[in-house]
Amino acid sequence: MAEERLRGRYNGRIGKETSNHAKVNKDKSRIKKVRSKFKVFSIRSGMDLPFLFLVLTLLVIGLVMLFSASYPNAYYLHKDSYYFIKSQVVFAIIGVAIMIAVSYFDYHHFHKLAFPILGISFLLLVAVLFMPAINGVHRWVQIGAFSFQASEVTKFAIVVSFAHMISINFRKMNTFKYGILPYIIILAPTVILLALEPHISCTVIVVLLSAGMLFIGGVKLRWFGGVIGAIASGLLYLVLFTDKLTYANNRIAGWLDPFSPAAGVDTWQTRQGLYAIGSGGLLGLGLGNSRQKYLYIPEPQNDFIFAVVCEELGFIGATIILVLFAMLIWRGIIVSMKAKDKFGSLLGIGLTAQVGLQVVLNIAVVTNTIPNTGISLPLFSYGGTSLVMLLAQMGVVLSISRTANLEKN
Amino acid sequence: MANGTTVRMWRRSLFVLIMIVFFGFSLVCFRLFQLQVVNGEDLQKRAIEQQMADTKISAQRGTIYDCNMKPLAQSATVWTVVLEPAYLKTDEEKELVACGLSEILEIDKDKLLEKAKKKSYYIVIKRKVETDIKDKIIKFKNDNRISNGIRLIEDYKRYYPYGNFASAILGFTGTDSQGLSGLEAYYDKELTGEAGRLITAKNAIGTDMPFDYEQKIPSKDGNNLVLSIDEVIQHFIEKNLEEGIINHKVKNRAAAIMMNVNTGEIIGLSVKGDYNPNEPFVIADEETLREIESLPESERDVAKSVAWEKQWRNKAVSDTYYPGSVFKMITECMGIEENVISENDHLVNCTGSFVPYQGASCIHCHKRTGHGSLTAEEALLRSCNPGFIILGQKVGAEKFYQYYTAFGFSEKTGIDLPGEASDIFFSADGSMTQMDLAVASFGQNFSITPIQMLTAASAIANGGKLVKPHVVKQIIDANGNIVKSMETIVKRNVISEDTAKRVTQMLYKNVNTKEGSGKNGYVAGYRVCGKTGTSEKIGCSGADGKDYIASFCGFAPADNPQVAMLVYFDTPKGESYYGSAVAAPVFAKIMQDVLPYLGIERKYTEEEIAQLETTAPNILGKSIGEARNIVQSSELNPIILGEGEKVVSQIPEPSKSIRKGGTIVLYTDKISINEAVEVPNLTGLSMIEANKIIANSKLNISIKGASMSGGEVVSSSQSIPEGTLVKPGSVITVEFIQKDNIR
Repeated sequence: MAEERLRGRYNGRIGKETSNHAKVNKDKSRIKKVRSKFKVFSIRSGMDLPFLFLVLTLLVIGLVMLFSASYPNAYYLHKDSYYFIKSQVVFAIIGVAIMIAVSYFDYHHFHKLAFPILGISFLLLVAVLFMPAINGVHRWVQIGAFSFQASEVTKFAIVVSFAHMISINFRKMNTFKYGILPYIIILAPTVILLALEPHISCTVIVVLLSAGMLFIGGVKLRWFGGVIGAIASGLLYLVLFTDKLTYANNRIAGWLDPFSPAAGVDTWQTRQGLYAIGSGGLLGLGLGNSRQKYLYIPEPQNDFIFAVVCEELGFIGATIILVLFAMLIWRGIIVSMKAKDKFGSLLGIGLTAQVGLQVVLNIAVVTNTIPNTGISLPLFSYGGTSLVMLLAQMGVVLSISRTANLEKN
Repeated sequence: MANGTTVRMWRRSLFVLIMIVFFGFSLVCFRLFQLQVVNGEDLQKRAIEQQMADTKISAQRGTIYDCNMKPLAQSATVWTVVLEPAYLKTDEEKELVACGLSEILEIDKDKLLEKAKKKSYYIVIKRKVETDIKDKIIKFKNDNRISNGIRLIEDYKRYYPYGNFASAILGFTGTDSQGLSGLEAYYDKELTGEAGRLITAKNAIGTDMPFDYEQKIPSKDGNNLVLSIDEVIQHFIEKNLEEGIINHKVKNRAAAIMMNVNTGEIIGLSVKGDYNPNEPFVIADEETLREIESLPESERDVAKSVAWEKQWRNKAVSDTYYPGSVFKMITECMGIEENVISENDHLVNCTGSFVPYQGASCIHCHKRTGHGSLTAEEALLRSCNPGFIILGQKVGAEKFYQYYTAFGFSEKTGIDLPGEASDIFFSADGSMTQMDLAVASFGQNFSITPIQMLTAASAIANGGKLVKPHVVKQIIDANGNIVKSMETIVKRNVISEDTAKRVTQMLYKNVNTKEGSGKNGYVAGYRVCGKTGTSEKIGCSGADGKDYIASFCGFAPADNPQVAMLVYFDTPKGESYYGSAVAAPVFAKIMQDVLPYLGIERKYTEEEIAQLETTAPNILGKSIGEARNIVQSSELNPIILGEGEKVVSQIPEPSKSIRKGGTIVLYTDKISINEAVEVPNLTGLSMIEANKIIANSKLNISIKGASMSGGEVVSSSQSIPEGTLVKPGSVITVEFIQKDNIR
């Protein structure tokens, strides 16, 4: 492998890619060979165990912390301390089962599924606007007993469809027609629909994910320069010449000074989160000993669960969890980079990066590093459907790992 | 479709990875470090502030004891009634609670109901509720099954079991048990202790958390004060001072301070025209109260606070006055110590008025006809102003101020009571004009506090040492361990022991000779020394001429002074305003009570003994009632034995010599004559002890020996040996000798 890459480094030129994998020329024969790796009882030999192990570890820690963070609310609001954890554990079990199942699913099928999923995403994004607003935003889709955020599907759809298109048109990615235009056609309505919900955090994630994938896909750097420049000047204009976005302005005011907010700014959640984080200190108050979860932090089981983690486990505990997340991202991307094909690489990197972005942004929000915007912490925050979807996506990464050029034991 | 990653793709993937992992995670890690480790404490403090419901646990305020551990100020448990309307769910419940509490606590029901309807967890309804009322509330709660909504919090209330007694020393406390006056204020920190806290975690809606989270920081009870004040002596002082106020129609209160001359311990300190520290805001003086009530509404508040200020003011420490003639003892000390004059040196030829220096206006002596030729001692005894002007001139202004400073008049004594005033001298640097010196020599035109005067007089009494007066002897903690003992602080030696003795002798003569101006301070058997003072009040004259302060300052016994006292009446409006007529008798009465109590031996002169002896009256054949009257009018105690109706025999027999207060036994039938008592051991005893035993044994004593001279005496022999059976009323002669002779 290393040899091949070295060779590639010397011989490989953009646009005249020579095959580094001479053994497989035809797709079909390759897929057949690959399929041999998806034997039902070949977990140990097939998928990447470090990645699986990291996912499960974080999931268990996440469940423990969810129980700890959620039981006061469960007790006060639902008269049952186990209200949240019960359903989350059920979903976690389902999610793990689905993850394992998906890991047997040849990810190449997503080539065919990319556009249907994108279609569903658009359908949901439009449908969600007609759903009743919760807290003034249209984010949740209700189907039967389940409810989930439409944006969860959107993020996956963007990753899958972009991976699909980039891998097909890899050699033409430096052109506008193939490298830019199709993505703008997909991205622009998505962003507009997300902004209509409104769902700023998801918009940011989608944009960053797209940018990252296009960047990896080989789009010329000047495009990024152009987009960054456009966004920067747009922001500059908003900051300097408008005060129309009072909601955003208030948010920013509350962000800059959460402890003595101006009238009309509600920084209660941020403030309580910061109190919790600060209370934790270096070593924390001990598991289960958070005081801020007692109705101070609104919905401590959701977006602000990490504040409770910080309070109970301290800086050291929080850092350990962050390191585990970092390892997960690291491993996920390494695994994906070693995938047999570009589609697998892009798909894996996209899905892993999505988790990484969400972790970073969530903690940035909780620590008031960026203005407060609704964003959940993967594997920790309460929400059965989203947990199952996340684990399913991790299953995709595991599926990719089965065919990747990894040393396996 | 292409295959695996290209180099560029690989490179760019790595860039994305690094961006997320290194940049993103490092950033949030750095933020966490900032929030948790750097700013953690501050955030934690804010968090705890909102999470903790903090209930104060009152610490019990320390007790103030007299020197015999009798409590003079105590704290007792009382209760604060708190309403917690948020726990009262229904309107009926609120109504019920309001109704019940209004009845028990005697509060307006509607007001309570209004409070009960508020959305609150803590409304104080009434403070300082006694335990019996608390029990009623608990019963009410139980009867009506109210588990939440009424809370009773323990608190303490200050009690002063003796009422007005020693209020100037003790002071009083405010509603939060904080010391506001007197020792309560001066030692507030010691007495208060440290309040504890009961910290319970509260969730955001203010109810207790369903889990046990409670931290109790126990309160630390305050320390107790043990005073050098003796409750018995204090009573003697207060009783006599009050009497003096009534007898002499004193308009502006009176004060008396008694001090142990050697240690500086204040044994008694009383200011009359006082208040009850249990209810300090009640105006105690009825006349003032009537005056205030007659005022229009708008002026009452001001008048009230003036009256409070007055009744709380510790006259003995916070007021200044011209010491007047009392100060002459100090001037005399200066003359003797500086050796400018001796007791028997001729000092002055008093003509009744005196011109201190050429061109000065004439100063009168209180005796307008003049005292004639006087020695230094006679000038003191007659309190001759011209004599002291000359003495002052002999000492000189510079030396005068040196002694003034040395005797402690230019500084606060440092007594442990709040609000001690400073002196007011002629000038800040001590310089005096000739006229200043002339009047200062007899104690006019400069102001000092009574406690300063007494401390200075104590220096004469104890042989020249200026001690620091103090009221608190010991501070002990709640468990009785001594926290601090107040040692005797000798500030300096002011005069030599010899000078002190000589001036003491003069002051003794002043009280104990016919010529002395202080003879009203005389107490039979106790060698009292002292000096009267009548001073004009500073810049103040009443409608009927000048106002005066009558004072007497002295100590006893002369041969070994133990206690010094200053008695001080402000503005007497009775028949006399002179110190000798107003203050001296009160001084004598107090000393008469206090000195025996202190166990100080009586020492009589021959003359006094003669006055003490009487002869047994003849009562043979008299009826019992008649006999009793006769015996009692002879200052004797009758003991009647037998069942007859007439006295058939008496012991001692008629016209036999017997001590006043002795026992005379009357027999009404023959049978009883045969009764006998056993003679007790009467050797090795002090005179007081011997007297007591004799009286208890129904016997009489006759004293012989060294009792008249100074020094302590002890009985060496008795005329009838111990164990002998004698008739009741028999006289036993006991011989006393100097204690030193025994060794």
